[in-house]
Amino acid sequence: MTNQVAAVHAVEIAGLNKIFNAGKSSAVEALVDVDLRIAPGEFVSLIGPSGCGKSTLLRLIANLLEPSSGTVLVNGKPAATARQDQDYGMAFQQSGLFEWRSVVRNIELPLELKGWDKAKRRARALEMLELVKLGDFASHMPWQLSGGMQQRVAIARALAAHPPLLLMDEPFGALDEMTREHMQSELLQICARTSTTVVFVTHSIPEAVYLSNRVVVMSPRPGRITEIIDVDLGGERDEGTREDSAFYGRITAVREALRGVEMTGGARGIEDR
Amino acid sequence: MSRRLRPVVMFCVAMLLVAVLWEGYKAIGPEKGGEILGFGILPRTNDQVMPHVWSMIGGMFDPAQRTGGDTVLQVVLSGAWYSFRIALVGFAVGVAFGMAIAVVLSRFRLAERAVLPYLVISQTVPLIALAPLVAGWGGKLQIGDWVWPRWMSAALLGAFLAFFPVAVGTLRGLKSANPASLELMDSLAASWWRTLITLRFPSAVPYIVPALKLGGAGAVVGVVVAEISIGLKGGIGRLIIEYSRQATSEPTKVFTSIFGAALLGLTMAAIVAGIDALLMRNRPRETTS
Repeated sequence: MTNQVAAVHAVEIAGLNKIFNAGKSSAVEALVDVDLRIAPGEFVSLIGPSGCGKSTLLRLIANLLEPSSGTVLVNGKPAATARQDQDYGMAFQQSGLFEWRSVVRNIELPLELKGWDKAKRRARALEMLELVKLGDFASHMPWQLSGGMQQRVAIARALAAHPPLLLMDEPFGALDEMTREHMQSELLQICARTSTTVVFVTHSIPEAVYLSNRVVVMSPRPGRITEIIDVDLGGERDEGTREDSAFYGRITAVREALRGVEMTGGARGIEDR
Repeated sequence: MSRRLRPVVMFCVAMLLVAVLWEGYKAIGPEKGGEILGFGILPRTNDQVMPHVWSMIGGMFDPAQRTGGDTVLQVVLSGAWYSFRIALVGFAVGVAFGMAIAVVLSRFRLAERAVLPYLVISQTVPLIALAPLVAGWGGKLQIGDWVWPRWMSAALLGAFLAFFPVAVGTLRGLKSANPASLELMDSLAASWWRTLITLRFPSAVPYIVPALKLGGAGAVVGVVVAEISIGLKGGIGRLIIEYSRQATSEPTKVFTSIFGAALLGLTMAAIVAGIDALLMRNRPRETTS
């Protein structure tokens, strides 16, 4: 363990504050005094009611927003540098695929922006398609695929450049329950195989518990971290894990942490399934 | 019936229907025109005003001049071809200018608020009033040995009508890019220019295509009206005026020139339809047109 602590953190957030419309009467304290360290290879979920700033926190890590104060380091670099270097991949609730590009050309997009040559791009994109089990769909157009398949393409695109960090904002939020559980298992396998660090925003408690090494519970007004819950379920996680009593134990722990949030702020938008 | 053949057959049926209606009214309508509720709105049906369809078709093959030479059809077709080339230049200039303006306006929000009202006002100026002005300015233009050719004034007025729908459509289209896709481009540290080419323009295509249809029609109207207004010889606009003056002696001539103008518009529409098919291939379509 001491070796890991000494190594560079995948994400290191210290004294982070984010105020929208600062100085105006409409000012909103989106995040207050956030400190978080994420080790390489870790899977961390951010959970909390609407308005707790979990998506804001993810966008600050991605450098899509600038912090009002505090620092965000990704792989030991400032977040802005990490974005320029494409040190992370990102997937959203909407797949955001380009409907005029074939599946394989969608996956090539990050590599195009990195200036890779065509043959190298194509080879990597096809490799990523195999990884998300869509090898036969390379030349399909996105609108010919189901929602779950589109989301898999989006994940393949996010991972195409082999970034060490994957940022996901409710990527399975629009999928039906069966597809969702299936995608969760596949995501875990992919991340284990590629040893990718993941920061995952969700409002589903079982999803957070099933996927994560740690669940970060957040509360609104002002947005802050109230509790960090370790999820040690021992060994490989598979469909059997969902029936496990330890799994239910951790779900209860997260739910109780969120109840504490509810007492102080009201837990709207939490899915208890 | 194959899907390709269907529109062609439907077009022929529609044309036939118009001919039947024409002849039908000619057969039962009042010879000297008629009144409904005191308004003289029923057109006369004599051969002067409403020639038979077959005499129109026959008239196409009469010589255009009393002295002989090219037939009316040949003269009209070469006039339409002349105007078509001018309209094509006007269309191309209008599309390029419209798109360029849309890019600038989408880049600078202040520019959009400052410039857009002027673009709207520009379209309210009657073309008839503008045409002699443009021709006048063009006539004074001379750079070295190069003199502004008169047909360029007509092309410019075609461009003037074509650019507006293209600018408005493209502007809306550039703004229509999916927010998640825009955020993705940001997360990939893509430059503004790169985002424009890779994301915003492709997103705008479904908005640009209908704008091109309007722009194509605008270019044709602009050129034909400009030809009449500035007195440019050789084009279909001039022929329409010339033949309508001869309507008393040769009533079928003017119809041939109108057919020529319609053919010109149809050809432009076909070109835009070709662009449409090219740009929208591989895209989901909600309706077929």
